[in-house]
Amino acid sequence: MVLAAILLAAAPLPELKVELFSSPGRLLVQMMVQRELPAEWSDALSAGAPVGITYRLRLYRNRHWLWDQRVGAHELVVRAQRDPLTGVFTLVAELDGEILASGQVGSLAEAIRWVTHPPPSEITVPLRAEPLLLFVRAEFLTHYKLLVIPSTVGTEWFQFAVPESP
Amino acid sequence: MTSWRRRWQRYRRQNRFLVGVYLGLLLLAGGAYALFTRMAGLPPEQLTNRLLTFLLWWFDLTLIAVLLFVLLRNFLKLALERRYGILGSRFRTKLLLSYLALILVPTGLLFLLSAALLSGAATAWFSAPVERMARAGIQLADGVRAEAEARTQRAAQLIASRLVGLPAPAARLAELERLHTEMGNHLTGLVRNGIPVVELVDPRQLVLQRLAPLPAEVFNTDGVRGERFGGTLVVRAWHRLPDGSVVLVGEALPETLVRAQAQLAAGAVAYEHLKMERPTITATVVLGFGGLALLVVFAAIWLGLYLSRRFTAPLLALAATTQRVAGGESLEQVPLPAEDEVGMLVGSFNSMVLRLRERDEELQATVRRLDTVLGAVRTGVLSLDPERTRVRGNPAAAAILGLPELARAEIPLEALDAAGLPRLAETIRNAGGSVRGSLSVYPGGVARNLEITVVPLGGPEQPEGWVVAVEDLTQLQRAQRQAAWSEVARRIAHQIKNPLTPIRLAAERMARHSERNSPDLHDVVSQGCRAIVEHVQAMQEMVDSFSQYAKMPPLARRPTRLGELAAQVVTLYQGVRQGLRVELADQSDGREVLIDPEQFRQVLANLLDNAVEASPVNGLVALTVCSEGGEVVVTVTDEGPGLPVQDSELLFQPFYSTKGRGSGVGLAMVQRIVTDHGGSVRLEANEPCGVRAVVRIPGGLP
Repeated sequence: MVLAAILLAAAPLPELKVELFSSPGRLLVQMMVQRELPAEWSDALSAGAPVGITYRLRLYRNRHWLWDQRVGAHELVVRAQRDPLTGVFTLVAELDGEILASGQVGSLAEAIRWVTHPPPSEITVPLRAEPLLLFVRAEFLTHYKLLVIPSTVGTEWFQFAVPESP
Repeated sequence: MTSWRRRWQRYRRQNRFLVGVYLGLLLLAGGAYALFTRMAGLPPEQLTNRLLTFLLWWFDLTLIAVLLFVLLRNFLKLALERRYGILGSRFRTKLLLSYLALILVPTGLLFLLSAALLSGAATAWFSAPVERMARAGIQLADGVRAEAEARTQRAAQLIASRLVGLPAPAARLAELERLHTEMGNHLTGLVRNGIPVVELVDPRQLVLQRLAPLPAEVFNTDGVRGERFGGTLVVRAWHRLPDGSVVLVGEALPETLVRAQAQLAAGAVAYEHLKMERPTITATVVLGFGGLALLVVFAAIWLGLYLSRRFTAPLLALAATTQRVAGGESLEQVPLPAEDEVGMLVGSFNSMVLRLRERDEELQATVRRLDTVLGAVRTGVLSLDPERTRVRGNPAAAAILGLPELARAEIPLEALDAAGLPRLAETIRNAGGSVRGSLSVYPGGVARNLEITVVPLGGPEQPEGWVVAVEDLTQLQRAQRQAAWSEVARRIAHQIKNPLTPIRLAAERMARHSERNSPDLHDVVSQGCRAIVEHVQAMQEMVDSFSQYAKMPPLARRPTRLGELAAQVVTLYQGVRQGLRVELADQSDGREVLIDPEQFRQVLANLLDNAVEASPVNGLVALTVCSEGGEVVVTVTDEGPGLPVQDSELLFQPFYSTKGRGSGVGLAMVQRIVTDHGGSVRLEANEPCGVRAVVRIPGGLP
């Protein structure tokens, strides 16, 4: 038991924690980034630059070699920007371009927490009873290798099976 | 299926441009679809940069793909052309590689240098001093705000501590007003249950009069808040009293200060934003330069390929034509009008072709004439290669040698051996230069007498070929023999008939006198017998001459002093007739000649016989021995009446005589002996009178 506890404590947390709540035709996705954000990202936020995290959600049917296996694609963009005059962090979360939530916090830690723990996103799923897979990742920054080859700084893609609605 | 495929291939070949446009539009449509899909996912503030980067990426990738396609297609084509040995492929490969080296190296270096410079410039934009200034602007704004927050918080705490001991509202209000004035606050208020009880505002700070109240929930704890309002920054701090009331103190920062801070902060924010977008900006610029460089490379390569095709086309056409001509095809002109140096070259080639055509036609005509002549002549002509291994002949040669295939094609010289002509083949093989001679060959078992002449073409040292003329003398010699025998028979009959007539007349006379028992029978018989004996003796002499002519011994040559021989013979004739002078002019200086002295003595005697007999009483017979051009020349002249006939050759025929006596074989024997020595003899008129006999023997006096 002690060994199990030690192993459990030593096991690294997943970079992205996702909780799924299914209902007929709807899927509520709660995402939480559990890794440290790049210092560049935090510095830019504290300096007043608009930064954010883009959560990409891809919903797939569980079948291969067919062109229509992708059911849907969604993006939750959570942005934060600090007003250097007031010191207030303005926060906005947009799901597929529509504002999902917004707010203001007074500290960097709160702002980071707000961005890394965005409000749950509700997406539509087919009503047909078929196994679905949800692929999720969080993107923080875009870098360029060899000056021109774009490379995204973020988490890996995580795969989750969409639970059946009750 | 095959028909459809063939039709499609033909359609594609005929409509390559349309197919290209269709494929291009398809690519564009696909790219546009991908672009719009990508655009939908981009946030508006990043759309410009990302879209530009995305477009540049597509542009560069498309250019790279097209460039690679063009290069690979041309390299593949050139590789295949080189493999199949198509003319000009090596030259075009070198040209293309040179173009690539000339274009790619400087353009690549320029691109790398530009990218490095741009990257360095971008790094310089975001240098440490600028960043420090930007950060300082942010820190200044934070500091000013923090100072205002601290100041208002302290004021709120101070006022709250003063009001704690004043429970009466009026006293609190009075104290609040006093402290507001004394501390110089811009805003001082008292809030109860979230509702402002009193708000004292500095009349100079009109912006605070329009300030909305803070939400009630914020008053649950002490706090401070800064807000942008009315072009300035308003800082409000509140402090709770034990009875639930809240002391509110506010301050509006000076507008000029806030405006300056806002500008600093905006600059700092813009700097930070730009800093975050720096990789994208660098990538955009580098991609832009890359696209430009690729465009230059693409245009240069395309232009290079076009120019290489344009420049090499006349040369390749010229080379192809010369190759075809060298391969044996007919002469043809290069149909490429050009005005540059290549055009001059093509023009010169075309002029050369015209001249060569004219010469070729002349040569063909000459060859046709020669073929006609060779086909018509009865002399066989053989032509051989310089090594004398293969031989070809005209129809006459084929007929003479009994080899019909000789007139149709070249055959090996060994074929002559197999055809029964080994002596002819051997003579041809061993000929070191011009050779002339007679041969008896037996092609097909039939005897043929041939006279052949072997001549090297272009000189005997390095002959370009050999020509052999073959004359079939079989029929001619047979005819000549028949004619000679006829002539001999006629002359013998004539010579015999001449003495027979007097013999017959003498016999008839003796018979008539005997029948009549004539008294002079004895005299008649005596005269008749004497005449018969004389004529029989003449016939005997004639027969002896025939025998001597027919039985000429073979030559026994040995070195002989011809001058001495001539002197011995001349001595015999001196004084043979009274008044006749026989003189010798010996210019041989005692040198020796390879001759048969006995037979040559007879030559001189026969010639002197004729000269002495033809000379007048006081005439002169002169014999001269000298040397001319490698020949020994012996001349015998007389002062007689001259040549009895116009054709002096008749005099050399056997049994031909103009003297009415003698056998007529003297000059014939002279000619035979001289001919056997390889020389010649002729009779010509002597000036002013007489005859001159000239004998020439090869092998001059040393």
